[in-house]
Parts: sequence; structure tokens; C-alpha cells
Amino acid sequence: MSQALRTQVTVQAATQAGAEPNGTDVVEPALVEAYFKAFASRDPAVFGAYLHDDVVWTISGPIDVIPYCGTHRGKAAVIDVMARRARNLLRDVKVKREKFLIDGNRGAALTRLTGRLADDSRIVSYRVANFFRFQDGKVIENVSLMDSFDAAEQVLGHAIEVGDAPPLADDNLVIL
Amino acid sequence: MAHTVTRQVVDAFYDAYMKGDRDQLTAMLHDDVQWSISGPISVLLYCGERHGKAQVLELACSILPSVLADLKVRHESVVINGDGVATLNRLTARRRSDGRQIGYRFAHFIRFQDGKVIETLSIIDTFDAAEQMLGHSLAVRDEEAPQRVPDLVLL
Repeated sequence: MSQALRTQVTVQAATQAGAEPNGTDVVEPALVEAYFKAFASRDPAVFGAYLHDDVVWTISGPIDVIPYCGTHRGKAAVIDVMARRARNLLRDVKVKREKFLIDGNRGAALTRLTGRLADDSRIVSYRVANFFRFQDGKVIENVSLMDSFDAAEQVLGHAIEVGDAPPLADDNLVIL
Repeated sequence: MAHTVTRQVVDAFYDAYMKGDRDQLTAMLHDDVQWSISGPISVLLYCGERHGKAQVLELACSILPSVLADLKVRHESVVINGDGVATLNRLTARRRSDGRQIGYRFAHFIRFQDGKVIETLSIIDTFDAAEQMLGHSLAVRDEEAPQRVPDLVLL
């Protein structure tokens, strides 16, 4: 992306939210809102404007099944995850916000992610928790946590054999 | 006006939850509390939905301690916003049946009402937690699994 486009994207994203990334750790809620909206849009050109150069991005989960899980360091690596690697697995991703909290330079979101598997077009849907922190007006850290067993079963398309799972004891009746 | 939860309240809640302290929890839980932990109940017996104080107390004071002992939680992130709290945590515990140590991350979204916990939603890295609970890797490869573009991941 050219410098001019990058600047345009940054200004556009900030203008849409009525805020602009600043140089302190005091983060305006409007900026956090704008960032998360950009993140949910899955448009790396817009989303990238909010990332710190030294961002550390962690997605917990089994990389054998969900290959973009793991820890990714640096803006370029994170954009590559969003722009290419995640799209190798999932297309038409929608992120529906269920909870959204902002506190100082930190934010947390509980979302439901829905997407279409690139391989066979099956639809998968699971909850994801995102915890992120800002530094110098940019996102320096993100941890995404999902019900990874459920997500893995959906991606695989079959139940995972757990073998010697502990039996449900008589006094361990779980009501769903 | 929305009640603002303090960090002290959050810490007291986790102290009571990790200890399975029935008296403390009774005082902190709303009568109509809704408690949800996403995950496979065949492996993680404490997953599922609970409604009302009695069911949540049974979970925290009976079911969870029957599976795990010496529960400890370390907060990696605490986000407090009005009546809502979100925490990213690392839980460590000892499996009661064989003494093995386990540890995994979980996220907790808590909502307070009238100064009491009215709703919690937990997201656990359940694949990791299930492998630790079972004591072996979960077999996920099979011949019918779709071929994927090779994707080197650096951890």
C-alpha cells in the first residue's frame, strides 16, 4: 500500500469514528470503536492503520486444524494473517458483537464469528473473545480466545474422538 | 445510573470462586444468575449452562472441586466498564483424580446487577484444556479431512 493510500485510509478510518490515533496511552472510546469496526470488517487496508509496528497477535487454538492460530509478531505478519492466511480457511467472515468493553487503554469483545469454509463452503460459527491493548494510539497486543474444541469440530466436519473421556458421575448431571 | 464495579469486587469474586467459598459466593451471586461455560461436557464436566444461585453454587462448590483442586487464576487482562467486567486469565489447577497439573487460558465476561453477579460467559481454549484433561493429544487428522494450503506457522 502506498504512503498516500495509507494516510488516506488512516484519516478515513479516524474520520468515520470521529477520532484519530494519538500519541498517548489515553485511548478515546471512539478510537477503540473505530478499531474494532475495522477489525470486524476484515479489510486489512483499513484494519492495518490501527496496528502498532510491534504488535503481538495471539490466536489460541490448534494450528493443525486452524492454521492461522499461534502468535504473530509485527504489523506485516498480522496483516498477512488477516489478508491471506485466515482467508485460506474462511471466507465471508461476519463478526457479530455480543459484548464490548473499554477501560483505559484496554478493550475486550465477545463476538460470534460466522464464516464459510474455503474448501467446501460449509458454514461455521463460534464465539471468539478478543482482548486488546493500545500503546501510542495503536494496537500493540491482541489475544483471541475461542471455544477451540467446538471450532475444530466444525472445521473438520466431524466429532473429535476423545477416547477415554471421564464418565459423567451420577452427581455430575449437567443441564444444558 | 449504572453501578461501576471496582477491582476490589472483581478480586473478591475470583477469590470466592477459586476457593469454592459457598458463603462468599452466596453473598455475591444474584438470585437469577445465569452462568455459561462453552465447551465439551464429556471432557470438561463443568461446562454447560446453569440458571439460578443454587445451580451455580453446586457448580462452584461441588462439581468444579470434584474435578480440579488447588485452583489458581492469574489475570492477564482486566477490563471494567460500568456493570460489565471482562477478564483474560490463566487457570492452573491439579486434576483431582491423578494429581496432574493442568493450565489453560479462559476469558470471562461478567455482568453485575444490584452489586451482584447476574451473568457470566466463559470462553475456554477448550481444545487445549481437553487435551490436558485427557492427558493425550486429540487425533484430528483423518483421510477425509480436506487438503489445505501448506501454511508455516512460527510460534
